[in-house]
Amino acid sequence: MAGQGPSRRELLQALSLASAASAFPGFSRWCFAFGKANAQPPAYRPQFFSASQYQTVEVLADLILPTTQDAAGKRQPGAREAGVAEFIDFMVFSDETLQEPFRDGLQWLDHAGRADFVRLSAGEQHAILERLAYKARHRADEKKGQLFFHLIRKYSVMGFYTTRIGLESLDYPGLTFYATSPGCTHHGNPEHVGKL
Amino acid sequence: MLENYDVIVIGTGAGGGMAIKTLCEAGLKVCALNAGRQVDPRKDFRQHRMPYDLKFRGFDSPARRAISIGYMDNEYVAPDAWEHEIAYSMAPGTRWTWPRSNLVGGKTNFWGRSSARMADIDFKAASRDGFDVDWPVSYVDIAPYYTRVEEMIGVASTVQNRPSNPDGTYLPPIRFRCIDYILESGAKKSGIPYLPDRIAQLTQPHQGHPPCHYCGNCTEGCDVGAFFSSPYFLLPLAHATGNLDLRTNAIAREILVDTDGRAKGVAYVNRLTRQEVEVYGKAVVVAASCISTAQIMLNSRSRQWPNGIANSSGQLGRNLCDHMYGTTAYGYLPQLLGQPSFPDNVSAATVAWLPRWQNLDNPRQEKFLRGYSFYPGGGCEQFPGYYDDIEGFGAGYRAEIKRRYPTPVSLTLQAPSQRSDKNFVDIDPTKKDVFGTPQVRLHFEWDENTLKMWEHARQVSEELFRNMGAVYQGHGDPESPGWSLHETGTCRMGNDARHFVTNKFGQTHDVPNLYACDASVMLNCTDKTTTLSVLAFSLRTSEYIVNQFKTGGHRSV
Repeated sequence: MAGQGPSRRELLQALSLASAASAFPGFSRWCFAFGKANAQPPAYRPQFFSASQYQTVEVLADLILPTTQDAAGKRQPGAREAGVAEFIDFMVFSDETLQEPFRDGLQWLDHAGRADFVRLSAGEQHAILERLAYKARHRADEKKGQLFFHLIRKYSVMGFYTTRIGLESLDYPGLTFYATSPGCTHHGNPEHVGKL
Repeated sequence: MLENYDVIVIGTGAGGGMAIKTLCEAGLKVCALNAGRQVDPRKDFRQHRMPYDLKFRGFDSPARRAISIGYMDNEYVAPDAWEHEIAYSMAPGTRWTWPRSNLVGGKTNFWGRSSARMADIDFKAASRDGFDVDWPVSYVDIAPYYTRVEEMIGVASTVQNRPSNPDGTYLPPIRFRCIDYILESGAKKSGIPYLPDRIAQLTQPHQGHPPCHYCGNCTEGCDVGAFFSSPYFLLPLAHATGNLDLRTNAIAREILVDTDGRAKGVAYVNRLTRQEVEVYGKAVVVAASCISTAQIMLNSRSRQWPNGIANSSGQLGRNLCDHMYGTTAYGYLPQLLGQPSFPDNVSAATVAWLPRWQNLDNPRQEKFLRGYSFYPGGGCEQFPGYYDDIEGFGAGYRAEIKRRYPTPVSLTLQAPSQRSDKNFVDIDPTKKDVFGTPQVRLHFEWDENTLKMWEHARQVSEELFRNMGAVYQGHGDPESPGWSLHETGTCRMGNDARHFVTNKFGQTHDVPNLYACDASVMLNCTDKTTTLSVLAFSLRTSEYIVNQFKTGGHRSV
């Protein structure tokens, strides 16, 4: 292999090929959202969750990581467009140790309010999640719910920040071809707060 | 297969690869045995994949997670890149993590690339502080080999004039990132060095290899060969001579001896057929990496060598050392909150290091002997691993994850253990692996000196965090031994045949045509990484072997 290093062009091709290779079942949504503007993703069929459980997971993931606007006013799509619920369904389907915690947690959530979680008003949904999310608001008898919130937030983050939508929202700068090592451009700025 | 070779080399990693190249180029017929299959970087390495190109997004299937030995045994690398078949034993109380890669090229496919020279402060440490014994070599003996190795593999760094770190021949360094300048300012206040690492990663085209393109993910294998690995830098040169017969899936079991007790060949098991095969040579080089080298030699029992070949000293397998690794501080840099994302993981985080500064002028200045070094980490990693530090959910949660993205910072300790009678390998008296080979058994615990280094390093790290204005969030625990992949010892070199397995050329005292060409010959692991020194010592030993063939010490076939 010595002396047969790939050209810059070949490297760039390798980089772009890798990113285009996504073809895993169930991960369709966010690929289509960015790849082909007019294509319609096929409806996703959950492999583990029931239809109503899946709906709850979708709502939860989108409450945790909603569509937002960044500081520059640019729309940043959230968990729903990134297909986070599909990822969670796939991971829970693949890992038996996750199945009971998710099933029980969703059941707990449906009993936390006056009706099933997805039937509650947005305000009521927020109120429940705030009790689970912030230590200062924790209730002693809701340990199970707190653990479940922690679990589904973890899988939402895992599912979101491993998609193109999620990584683009962070301006992830890696897996790029840099011709030279991209060092700090404002060395000497005492606080390192200058514009890059 | 009954064939004769000049030299049988066991192992194709840094030590074996260098031996194979050197011996083949000198015109010797070499049979190389590699315990695993051929490596195919384009297929086996997926470092150019985004997480969404992987079925489990890089988090691995539950089945893979259950067998993964950690390190880079993950979805980005072919599952059989890491050894899962050859079992080993651990004595009660020993928790050794043992990432072994038996692909052709071994761990050089995935190594960390830090490449500092050892120095007389390491080789002659015993004379300075009275602990253990000196190495049988001085820096002047090894320096020319370091220079040649650096020219071969390409090491990026700067001239630093550090007393414990001799300078070498370097390519331009990788440029500092923002976090490096911040860390450097904190280190300055702490009075400790913060410098470009010596890293075997090409910053410009070198010896026909392309320069790094700074994509990140280096330790998942580089499919363009922009950092040193045996399959990219050494083995092609050996193949080109026509003198190399490389046998893959050949798990060396035993070194065969003639009636005089000299090495005459190697018996290996074919991993796929489970058949035993013998190959014969005028000399044998063992470079299976420290622990496996000891296993093969201890399992080579004969009438002449009832306790393992070349073990009249009883020191074969003894004196195992390793680097303690661990996160001594982690937190974040508030001055970078909300800053634009920056390609910080361009070289997988060994842009800089904090080389040993302890016990330099006075060897007994600190409460511990010798010294340690740090590697910094941080900046924009791909995945926001700090997500659990932040409370809440919703738009505010997303904004905070983004704000924190460029800020993570941590320090990893690299602290050498010191020689101890408690740390060694032997053969498990009852257990055999699936190939019928008696298993190697590990005995290891961290010595008091290393634990003192850990405490010291923790305090230094916390102070450094204060001095650079970082928010200190805590520290990890020492990783289990083995994690660094820097084990040394088991065939230590020394002049006295009664106490050392090998002489200063890596030749066993007992069996003049048997050599060790890996970190097994090193007296301890020092505060530097091992690979550069494995390459330099292997080059030196290999040329010694060539000379033995030229002068009649060994007869060529």
